[in-house]
Parts: sequence; structure tokens; C-alpha cells
Amino acid sequence: MILRLIERAAVFLVSLAVSSVLVFAFMAVLPGDPARVALGVNASDQAVAELRRQFGLDRPLPTQYFDWLGGLLHGDLGTSYVSKVAIGPQVFDRLQVTLWLVVAGMVIALVVAVPAGTVMAARHRKVSGFALSAVSQVGVAVPAFLAGILLIVVFAVKLGWLPANGWTPPAQDPGMFLKQLILPALSLGLVQGAVLTRYVRSAVLDVLREDYLRTARAKGLRPFQALWRHGLRNAAVPVVTVLGLQLATLLIGAVVVERVFVIPGLGSLLLDGVSNRDLLLVQDVVMVLVLAVLLVNFIVDLLYVALDPRLRTAS
Amino acid sequence: MKSSFRIRAVAFVATAAVLALTACSAGSSTSGSSGSSPGGDQKLSIGLVAEPASLDFTTTDGAAIPQLLLGNVYETLVKQDDSGKIVPSLAKSWTVSADRKTYTFDLVDTAKFTNGKPFTANDAVFSINRVKTAWTISLKAAMDVVSQAKALSPTQLQVTLAKPSNDWLFRMTTRIGAMFSESGVSALATDPVGTGPFKFSKWNRGDSIVMVRNDDYWGTKPFFQQITLKYFKDATALNNALLTSTINVIGTVQAPEALSQFTSNTKYQVIEGTTNGEVLLSFNNSRPVFKDIRTRQAIRMAIDHKALLDTCFAGRGKLIGSMVPPTDPWYEDLTGIAPYDLAKAKSLLQASGAAGKTLRLRLPTLPYATSCGQVVKSMLEQAGLKVQIDQLEFPAAWLTTVFKNADYDMSIIAHVEPRDLGAVFNAKYYTRYDDPTLQGYLAAADAGDEAAQVDNMKKAARRLSEQAAGDWLFLLPNLVVADKNIKGLPQNAITESFDLSKLAR
Amino acid sequence: MKRLNPSLVAGGVIVGVIVLMALVSFVWTPYDATLVTPASRLLKPSWSHWFGTDKFGRDVLSQIMVGSRTTLFVGVVAVGVAAVIGVPLGILAAMVRRWSSEVIMRANDLLLAFPALLLAIMFGAVFGASTLTAMVAIGIASVPGFARVIRSGALQVMRTEYVLAARAAGRRPWPIAVRHVLPNVTSLITVQASVSFAIAVLAEAALSFLGYGTPPPTPSWGRMLQESQEFLFSAPRLAIFPGVAIAIAVLGFNLLGDGLRDRFDPKLEDRR
Repeated sequence: MILRLIERAAVFLVSLAVSSVLVFAFMAVLPGDPARVALGVNASDQAVAELRRQFGLDRPLPTQYFDWLGGLLHGDLGTSYVSKVAIGPQVFDRLQVTLWLVVAGMVIALVVAVPAGTVMAARHRKVSGFALSAVSQVGVAVPAFLAGILLIVVFAVKLGWLPANGWTPPAQDPGMFLKQLILPALSLGLVQGAVLTRYVRSAVLDVLREDYLRTARAKGLRPFQALWRHGLRNAAVPVVTVLGLQLATLLIGAVVVERVFVIPGLGSLLLDGVSNRDLLLVQDVVMVLVLAVLLVNFIVDLLYVALDPRLRTAS
Repeated sequence: MKSSFRIRAVAFVATAAVLALTACSAGSSTSGSSGSSPGGDQKLSIGLVAEPASLDFTTTDGAAIPQLLLGNVYETLVKQDDSGKIVPSLAKSWTVSADRKTYTFDLVDTAKFTNGKPFTANDAVFSINRVKTAWTISLKAAMDVVSQAKALSPTQLQVTLAKPSNDWLFRMTTRIGAMFSESGVSALATDPVGTGPFKFSKWNRGDSIVMVRNDDYWGTKPFFQQITLKYFKDATALNNALLTSTINVIGTVQAPEALSQFTSNTKYQVIEGTTNGEVLLSFNNSRPVFKDIRTRQAIRMAIDHKALLDTCFAGRGKLIGSMVPPTDPWYEDLTGIAPYDLAKAKSLLQASGAAGKTLRLRLPTLPYATSCGQVVKSMLEQAGLKVQIDQLEFPAAWLTTVFKNADYDMSIIAHVEPRDLGAVFNAKYYTRYDDPTLQGYLAAADAGDEAAQVDNMKKAARRLSEQAAGDWLFLLPNLVVADKNIKGLPQNAITESFDLSKLAR
Repeated sequence: MKRLNPSLVAGGVIVGVIVLMALVSFVWTPYDATLVTPASRLLKPSWSHWFGTDKFGRDVLSQIMVGSRTTLFVGVVAVGVAAVIGVPLGILAAMVRRWSSEVIMRANDLLLAFPALLLAIMFGAVFGASTLTAMVAIGIASVPGFARVIRSGALQVMRTEYVLAARAAGRRPWPIAVRHVLPNVTSLITVQASVSFAIAVLAEAALSFLGYGTPPPTPSWGRMLQESQEFLFSAPRLAIFPGVAIAIAVLGFNLLGDGLRDRFDPKLEDRR
């Protein structure tokens, strides 16, 4: 088991190193000279050269890469070419916003998916199970931004119950924070919940078919009781995997929902960075997103080992 | 006319300002008692588009920063009033020498920077000289005509020009004329220091900028204690924010189609005026196909401007026939020079040999450009041209490809800067419009007296329209929507600044 | 013949209708989908314009029809890219030695850290947003899904007796892959293609909504949705038609995928 943990950690670190090279190399080919964009279009070549020197853009690419990487390791994300402001605090601020949104979305998704999926599995031959199944199919097919638009029209504009958009940090005004969080979290959570429901359903179905559950039922336990006592831990393994994958999707998928609800998250920082050609900012944000995804996968790997006794002995 | 050989970035940020009654405040020294504003501690929230990337307009181009800071945080020696006239601000009065080359300004003596330093003629000299030395944006060329600026006394400034220039004094009303403190320019991008009625307070990046009242302001103190400018990416989100009372004012309506929901609601007031934003269908005049004036005229005649405005901007805005907005003294209605005439357009294209040719319409990713581009394509194709649309991301990709490299046939962009006729139509600009006759008119306008200026600018505008150097699709409207009880909103947006100090409830 | 399952029928019918709509749009649409006619803008649905017209006076039904071409085109190319890279990768990973297999699958997992939306925004920044960059980005992002599924299928095939026999007989790996493995994973490829198609449709819509997808004037459902934003109050139908079209298309491909999976995998059949 220890060996396995070390192996996982090694894979995680190597993946991180490889992706940092990929991200850097990709950004290095971006057309549009960041120094020229920062200076305006008719800046003299001399001024552009001066700024390139100032940003260190005139150095060889490997030097630039290791410099960037070294900074990252110390938590220093550099200074934006465009706004001349340190990038680290900005990314940190925006990451917090996105994390709130993603975590709230995930909670909603779980609250929807676990009961719905279990019921669908337990009653998969009944009308109620079929109806839920159909609803989840439709839910999967609706893009989160469409759900967001519909929620705004109904709950913000028509009914006036909740604000249409905006963001307030929780420390500043917890009430407003919650009010503004509900609609975007719902539009992310309901759609992800529909996806998750289908995995919960099949995971629970698999478990229901296992011999120990049949035995438990033969002993007179009702299906839900049997499931509760014996099945959930086993059903959790595939669900956790999917949850990890979904978290990754949500982190980036939040960008569209952030756009609809005018939320200053990591996604909108990325889009702003791209349109301002704030090269270093884009590079940093992409790297942070990739790091977050790899980290989630790593944690899922660990949970996997912890949850599934069979896997502990494997390999 | 050297000062107008400027090349600037252009962005669709309709600037807005109301400068009525400014003369009253100029020169009148207030007691300086703080916090005695009628608004008490009232707050206001204004929704805008296009968040600035930095607060430093000396090195970062674009209209968003002066919109926010000019007139509010930074002040100029002279400014434009609502009718476009140049009136006193930090300068109480000024005189011009007989040879029109020496300007002497008498400055107010009560103004203070927010870092506590008093404003003196030395700061003015510093600010003027700093444009030439430290500014990097291309607009700084407007200051090239200055040969010397010196302080005659703490309240008297003398500026000597290399040659007479009407344009220079006008440019002093724009961001070029902003007055900085020598000890307040160390962190322009994050900490602006000026003499204005507001102080910069806080920037929540990606969301909003907060301004607070400068209680030590030398002039009439503003009503609101705090004004938050919230930035939106999306026009619909901006509208929704007002509908759900997240903001009190929409500074510039970007989705004119959605305006009906406000006009029909008594909770809101809708203001519709004019701006300086000419939406230009630009031609790359260096391309062989545009060398023939008949092709250019045909394109202008193939476009039904009324229908275009109705379709892509909900009929809001004004049709103009040249590069002059109605608020400039030399405005004339020139829409009759190239009236919509599809048959004539077709025959002109046949005659010039351009019929059947494919033109590349390279659009910036801005909503109005995307919309109008599709209408233009459809209309030109009916006249016998082929139009291939491609979209370039704004600002970076569009600025590099179209603006800097002039790698395009046609494009659409709003030129929002004031009095930009000469700047936009010259051989070095992306229009690549090389016309000695036009340059002659412009030079005469800059050097002459007021009457000569108006006369020559009229000739220049007419020349552009007759030569079909481009096509002016329409003038962007100043569309402001606000809660009914907000007062002091600008009717027309003719300066670079959104004046917050006149707003009241 | 096995009994047809409801998912397969429903999915097949929906996908069939969309394909048919796209094919018909090549020869006939009620109106020219890109023709701007200011005189007939923002018309309500009527006999002459079943779905009404948009702010340019363009017929919405015609645009939905032509837009289905964009949707299908993006889906086909993206799934094609994903399959062309992912299937060989999956088979390779199943056939090579353990550690090289591990490297392939780890590289594959790494790709999971770059979802379609992120890749497409990066591609759009470098090459300019276009249908092509969107398709390629979505395709690349779908590779890991293919590689994983195909690898697990191929591993099963590798354990079958005829493959073991072929290897014992000294057959080289290449012919084994083509003769034995590939034909036995076609059903998995079909299922995965259908599922990836649904994801591609969603991704294209999101990208066009953000302005990183199909540029105008080519009709695209995602962009129609974005353009309809300012009419949410005055003419919500402009958002509803493309929104419903997207949802139906995704639903169709998902159902088709489910149906195919059940059909190919009899073990799962009684789960319905």
C-alpha cells in the first residue's frame, strides 16, 4: 500500500512537470507580441524592445521557462505585462471565487444525484424509476449556461427573488453572498447532478446484483435497508472516480456560468487574459487549472486505495 | 497639423460627461469645510462595460481609463462644457499671444492633490513635460507642438508652441492635459493621485472599482460619498443588474434591442443623446481595389443606412455622412452625398471592374461590429460584391492584424475619440488614406483663427465624404438608463470622461 | 435479431431526424439562412416563418436547419480526431509491455487535465477562434475517453483463446491488432463515438456562446443562443428554439449511445 502511494505521488509530480512544459511551450507560440500589445499599437520598436528586456522576454526560452517554474515553486506567479500588478494574489482571489462556486455546485449535484440515482436503481423496473431516468436524460442534455439563462429569467427577473448576477465575498456580506451564489450554483449543480445520477444508478445496480446483497435480502432486509447496511461503501468507489472527473470539468466549465452570472472567477480571468494578450497571466491561470485537476485526480487515486479493499492488495 | 498625426487604439466605450455649470466652480474658492455635501453618505452604483486593464492611461491605451479617472480623479487646466466650448478648470483664465504661439494660464490656488501637496504651476510644467518623456501611448504626439512650458509664478504658467495650433488647446481638455503631482506618479497603474472631486479607493479586479468623495476638493463637492463602477462583459447581464437593483445606472447601453423593457417601465429614465463614436466601415485605401473611387462610392451607395441602423442597433443612433459628430462646431448633414441607390451601386461596380470580386471584412469581436458586419455583407452582396467575414479577437488580434499591419480590405470599428477626423484619415493610419488636399484643409484649420478653423474643417469633412474614404455607418448613441430619481446624467457624451461629480439623487 | 430497446429507437430516430434535416438543408431551406432582410425582422412564428425571424430578418427555422450542419460537422470531425488518435492508442496500450502501457495511459490521463473548453480557448488564442480550432480542441480532449474504453476492451480480446493461439503461432502484433482486436472493439468504438458526439455538441455550443466557436455568419446553434440574449424579454423564442435544438441533439446522441451499449452488451440488458 505504501508502495502504491509513492507510485501515485510520483505519477502526480511527473504529470505536473510535463504539463508545465506543455503549457509554457504552447504559450510561447502565441502570436501577438505581449510587449507591443501592452504599449499600444504605434509604440516605437525601441520602446517595445525596452519593455521586452524589462519583462525578460528577450532571454532564451529555456531560461524563461525555468525562471517561471522557479517562481511558481515559490508561489510567485510573476507580474502581469499589461496591468503591471502581481499575478499571484489575483489568481488566488479568483480561485477562491471559483472554488466556492464549484463546491456549491458539487454539493447540489450530490444532493440531487445520490437519492435520485439510488431510487432509480432500486426501482429500475418501475414507472417511478423510468420517469426519473427520463428526467435525468433531459438534464444531461441541457447546457449549464442555458440552465443559467432560464434560472435568471424566472427567479431573478420575473419573480425577483434573487439577484440576477454579481458576486459578494462571504466575509463582506454573508447574506448577499448566499443569495448571489444560489442561481449559479444551481445551474452548475443541476446539470452535473443529472450526469452524476446516471453513474450512481449504475453503481448501485452493480452492487444490488452482488451476492452479499442478495443474501441480505434473503434474510428479510428491505432493498433500501440492505443497500444502506452493505452496499453504499461499495457503490461509492465508482462514484468517487466520476466525482473527481466531474470536479475537473466543473472547474473549467464554470467559465461559461461565470460569464452568464458576471462572477469574477478564474475562468473570466482567463478569458480577460486571452483578450488582453496578458500572456503570463494566461499561462499562470492555465497552469493553476491544470494543477487543480491533477491534484483532484491524485486525491481520487488515494481515496480509491482507501475505499476499495481489493485495490489495496492489487499491484 | 502634426498633432493630429496620432495613431490611437480605438475601443467602443462610449464616454459620457456632463460639464454644465463648470464655470461656476472654476475659480470660486470654497471654504474647505469637509463632509458638508448635500448627499451625506449616500452611495451609487454604475454599470459599465470594458473594465480597464490598468489605471495608468499614460502607458495603457483604451477609452476605459480616462472614462473613469479624467475629471473625477485627474483634472485638466481647461475642459469642454456640454456645448463643446473650452472653459476654465484648473486654469481660472488664459490669454493667447498675437502670434497664437504663447499661452499664459492663471491657475487656481486652492487646489490640492489627494496626497496633500498643493497644485502649482510647477506641477503643470511637470505634467506637460512628462507627456513627452514618460508617456508611451501614441496620443502623446499631441504634445509635440509644445516647445517650452515654464512656471512664471506658483499660479502662472506659460506654454510656448512651435507653431500656432487650435488643436493643442483642445487636446489639453483630454487625458493628455491631465495634471499630475510630481510626488504622485510612482504607482500610476494602481494608485492614481489627482486634484479631482473623487479619490480612487479600491479595485476588485474583474468586478468593480470604488471611488470615494474627495472631501478636500477645491471646487463644488460631489453629492455622493461613494460611487462604485461595476464592470460587465455581457450586455444582457448589465441590463439584468439594473432590473434587479444591483446597480442604479447603466452608463452605456450595449444591447439597444433590450431598451424597450426600460422605456416601458416608469421606474426608470432613459437618456438618448449623441457621442463622438463614429462607427466606420473602413476601407484599406492602399489596396488596388479601393484605388478606384467608383468602387468606394458604390459601396457607400449599396448600403441602406437607415435599414442598417434599424437592424443592427435597433434604430438608435444618428446617421452621419462624414467623420464629424453633431456636437462639433463644423458639423454639417452630409448624408445626402452618397444616398442609398442599389442600381447606381451595381453599375459603378461594373464600371470599376470590382463586381464579383471578394473583399475580406475583418471584424473585431465586438457586438455592434459583428451585427453590422453581417448586414453590410448582405447588402454588398446584393450589389454584386462578394464579402468574406472573419472575426479577429478584440483587442489584441484585431489591433495587430488590421490596425497595425493593415492586413484587411474592410473593417468596422467605432472611433470614439473626439475630433479624430485628421487622425483617422491619413496615410500612416490603418485607413492608409493618402490625400494632400485633405491635409491642406486640416493644416489650415489648425493654424488659422476660429472662423478659418470651422471653414476648413467643413471642407475636410465634405472632401472625405465625396472621396468616399470610408463609409460612416452611423454615430453611436449615448444611451443611459437609470433609476428615475438619479439627476445630473449626461445628455451627450462628448468628452473622454464620465463625470461623476454632477450626479445626485 | 435481438429485440430493439427503447433508448436505441428513440436515440436513432432523433439522430436520424437531425441528419436528415442537415442533408435537406443542402438542397432546400424555407429561406436563405444568412440573407439579411431588415423589413421582416423579429417576426413572430407564422405560416410563412414557422419559428419566426431574428433581428436581421433571417428565418429562424432555416438557421436551425443549416445550424444542424455545423453541429454535425463539428461532432463528426471531433469524434473522428478522437477516434483516429484514441483507438490506436488504446489498442497499443493493451498490447505493449506493462511499463510502456503505463506510460501511454498516464500520458492519456494527463490529457484529461486539459478539457475541451480550456483547450479550445488556448487554441482560439493562438490560431484565432474558428470552427476548425473548436473541432480539433474538442477532438483532442475526447481522446482519453476513447483510449481508456478501447484499452479495456482490447485487453479482454487479448485474453481470448484465438488471440492467444495466434500469438503462440508466432503471428506478429500488427496483424493481430488489425485482424483480431480491432473488429472486436468496433462495438465499443460505436458506443464511445455516440457518447463523445453528445459531448462535442455541448462543447461547441458553449464555445460559440463564449465567442470561441463558429464565427458569423455561418449559422450555429450556440451562437444563435448568444445572439438571442438581448431578446430574452421581448422575444424569448429566439433563445428557446436553438436551446431546445441543442438539448434534443445531445439527448439523441446520449440515448443512441445507451441503446447501443445495451444492445452490444447482453449482460447489461436486464438492467433496463
